[in-house]
Amino acid sequence: MKRLTWLLLIALWFAPAVCTGAETAKIFQEANTSYRTGDHAKAAELYESLTEREPGVATFYYNLANTYVRLGKLSRAILNYEKALRLDPRNGDVRENLRYTRGLLEYRVEDTRNWYLKATEVVLKYVTEREVFAVVLAVLFVFLIGGILFFLNGRGVFWNPWQQFVFVVLLLAALVAFGKQVQSNVIRDAIVMQKECEARYGPSEHDQVAFRMGEGIKVFVMDRREDWSRVLLTNGESGWVKDSDIAEVKV
Amino acid sequence: MRKILLATIILWGVMAPSLQAEEVRVSASLNKRVVQVGEEVRLNIRISGANTNLQAPRLAQLAGVEAYYTGRASHIAFVNGVSSSNVEFNYTLIPRAIGHFTLNPIDVQVGQSVFQTEALEIEVSGGQSQAVGSQSQGPAQRVPSQSQMPPSVPQAVPQDQVFSASPGTDDNIFVQAVVDRKTLYQNEQMLLTYSLYTRYDTRYEGFDKEPETSGFWIEEFPMVDRDVPRETVRMNGKRYVKADVKKLALFPTAPGNYTIQPGTLKVSIREEPQGSNAFDEFFSDSFFTGGAFFARRQNRLLVPPPIQLVVKPLPENGKPASFQGAVGAFRLSATIDKDKVKQNEPVTLKMVIEGEGNIETITRPKVPVLTGFKTYDADTNSKLFQAENVIGGTKSFEIVFIPKEEGSSFVPPIEFSFFDPRQEKYVTLKTPNFPIQVEHSDQNFQMPQELAGNAIFQKQVKSEGKDIRYIDEKVPEAFSAHAVDWIYTILLWGDLLLLAFLLLLWMKDRQDRLFSKDQALRRRKTARGAASANMNRLKKLAHSSKEEDDVAFFVELEKAMIQYLADKWNLSTYGVTRQDLEETLTAHFGAEDAHLKDVFELYRLCDESRFGKGSVPQASKKIGLKIFQDTVNRIERMRK
Repeated sequence: MKRLTWLLLIALWFAPAVCTGAETAKIFQEANTSYRTGDHAKAAELYESLTEREPGVATFYYNLANTYVRLGKLSRAILNYEKALRLDPRNGDVRENLRYTRGLLEYRVEDTRNWYLKATEVVLKYVTEREVFAVVLAVLFVFLIGGILFFLNGRGVFWNPWQQFVFVVLLLAALVAFGKQVQSNVIRDAIVMQKECEARYGPSEHDQVAFRMGEGIKVFVMDRREDWSRVLLTNGESGWVKDSDIAEVKV
Repeated sequence: MRKILLATIILWGVMAPSLQAEEVRVSASLNKRVVQVGEEVRLNIRISGANTNLQAPRLAQLAGVEAYYTGRASHIAFVNGVSSSNVEFNYTLIPRAIGHFTLNPIDVQVGQSVFQTEALEIEVSGGQSQAVGSQSQGPAQRVPSQSQMPPSVPQAVPQDQVFSASPGTDDNIFVQAVVDRKTLYQNEQMLLTYSLYTRYDTRYEGFDKEPETSGFWIEEFPMVDRDVPRETVRMNGKRYVKADVKKLALFPTAPGNYTIQPGTLKVSIREEPQGSNAFDEFFSDSFFTGGAFFARRQNRLLVPPPIQLVVKPLPENGKPASFQGAVGAFRLSATIDKDKVKQNEPVTLKMVIEGEGNIETITRPKVPVLTGFKTYDADTNSKLFQAENVIGGTKSFEIVFIPKEEGSSFVPPIEFSFFDPRQEKYVTLKTPNFPIQVEHSDQNFQMPQELAGNAIFQKQVKSEGKDIRYIDEKVPEAFSAHAVDWIYTILLWGDLLLLAFLLLLWMKDRQDRLFSKDQALRRRKTARGAASANMNRLKKLAHSSKEEDDVAFFVELEKAMIQYLADKWNLSTYGVTRQDLEETLTAHFGAEDAHLKDVFELYRLCDESRFGKGSVPQASKKIGLKIFQDTVNRIERMRK
């Protein structure tokens, strides 16, 4: 009887997800058909609805980005490729299409950052925040098990070489997690959405124009002031742009 | 070390008498007796059987003939225990006037004795007005198989030039880096020769700084010190001994204007011109004048001036389709290993390209696309050689043809083109048209084992255009889409539970360690727990309807009370009397405390149940339990 109750509870827990999943799959198939038949506007609309329903699925962002490429909306395409990469950073198709779409842009920004910054970014871009933290928790799990076994056995040395090794791994994993946390939440990526965007020396229309960028350029948001954001480019240039000109890569 | 020294002394002891014992003979000779004005004559004075520690003989002044000392050579030989020694002194004579000259006998001092050579005659006729170095070339290096090479253009190394020494430099010794051409085609050979001119006893020590020749493919001609060609030349009115110490073949890889920094040569010159002894002669290794090993020498660095070059691009006009960059003069030959084969059986065509030029840069000639054959690259070999002043070699290519259809067929001609810089035109050579007879075979085609993975005529996979990759049409699975999230959540909760469990274990461990040190503390801390357990047990007994359980209830109640109070105040559970407890309770609660009376009432109830007659009312059990509980609560609060 108890077992039956548990099964019922589990079924009730997953029931909404199953119902939602079936509906999502239906919309997804419809969107794919629209894309295949060349009705990209409808496909984009359906994929957009899917990303709202299920914001954690990389495939929806990837397909949406492809649709925007077909529609010629490159900034939207790049934004959604970036979002897809956030969720599925090792997806080769997403990376390749992002590279291709960047090649279609009118503007290009040279990356003049130090090699170690570039290398760190590349490494951290290959994992999601959740994956890094899951690794940290897994190592912590092993470390705690070690501690519990020590108390249960009631003998031996707690700070034995195995525990030391696990602790070092834990520290390293924590360091990577910290880096990923900074990359995701402190250095916020954004994409220029306007065809032409002016970056100014200050957060107002009265300030002088520092440089101009085109759509699809990736920037890092360093500061916010009312309706303005201070952005940094990979070539070291920084300036203030209107919030409406950029869209943050946020899932 | 001592053994070596001893052996040397013994050897010298054996050698010395035998050397002294030989008879001294002195002779003089000329390499030619009839010459023209300004032509060099070599005078050789040979002393045999003497100690090699000799001074060079001095020539008497002879009107109309200039004389220069050009060096010495010593030879010591031991044959069947008998030693022989020879010393030769060489001089160059240049007659300046027509006529008949007689060289008087020359005095040669050997030890305390003076020997004389015979008199020599020279007949000088009219001719050259100015001396040009006699051609005393060292042995030229030859590779037998290279005799079939096309004849090369004589390399024009300047012999008589006007040299202007830089201010502050010594014009008695200098080096010239000379190229045989200053304008050449891309990939054409150019000869760079380093010529050392000296009026001293000089030893060439090698390069102190290597030449900078970026943009050139370089091949060095091997030079052996003893074989370095040397000659006597005249420059700026002075006579020098000239030696070509290094030769490089350079092939420019791209057109343009180049400046070659020739580097720095290191030489040592002898400071004492005529000093000599037996050890010096024996160990002498100088290629010039037999410079003594132990003589005092001075090092010099010689820097030839930079060389400017113009490298022309190969002409576009007339460039054949088969041209792949070869420059030089080449011959092409080809053979096939069989002319009768079965279907799907390989025929190997071997092409050999040989000649002058940078053979390493020759690439495989293009094979035309063939319908009846499968074609494979089999083998490539190259051999490089240096002949005179020319770099050349042979390169062979093997191509395997596998006929697919039976019948008469032929291995088609394969073209090889090169640019000949002498003729300044492209030359195209072709292999012959080899007929082959292909017999029928039922054997299916199979790649020859040795060729597997070596196919060159398979089409390369290459991108035809660029576009985005297609959408992902696979419906995302809920598990795979959220797997990491779930794992993360499970791990998070797992870690929290483990952490809590670990903390509990740690606290328990800490408590156990404290209790093991302080039993009173342990009793005090565990008193309440034990009291609670007793309370539960008493409650069960209280609800029991059995008569014997009434007695048992109050017995247990008294025990529980005594155990709690004894644990709380560290009294002996078994030795404590009721009076002890009353005193302790009075001390803690105060004599007038109302609860104290309740405790006493509890004792009375217990006594009554055990010793009184009749059953104890149920209410008494409740009262007893309440008093016990109140006592426990009161004391617990007190402790706090």
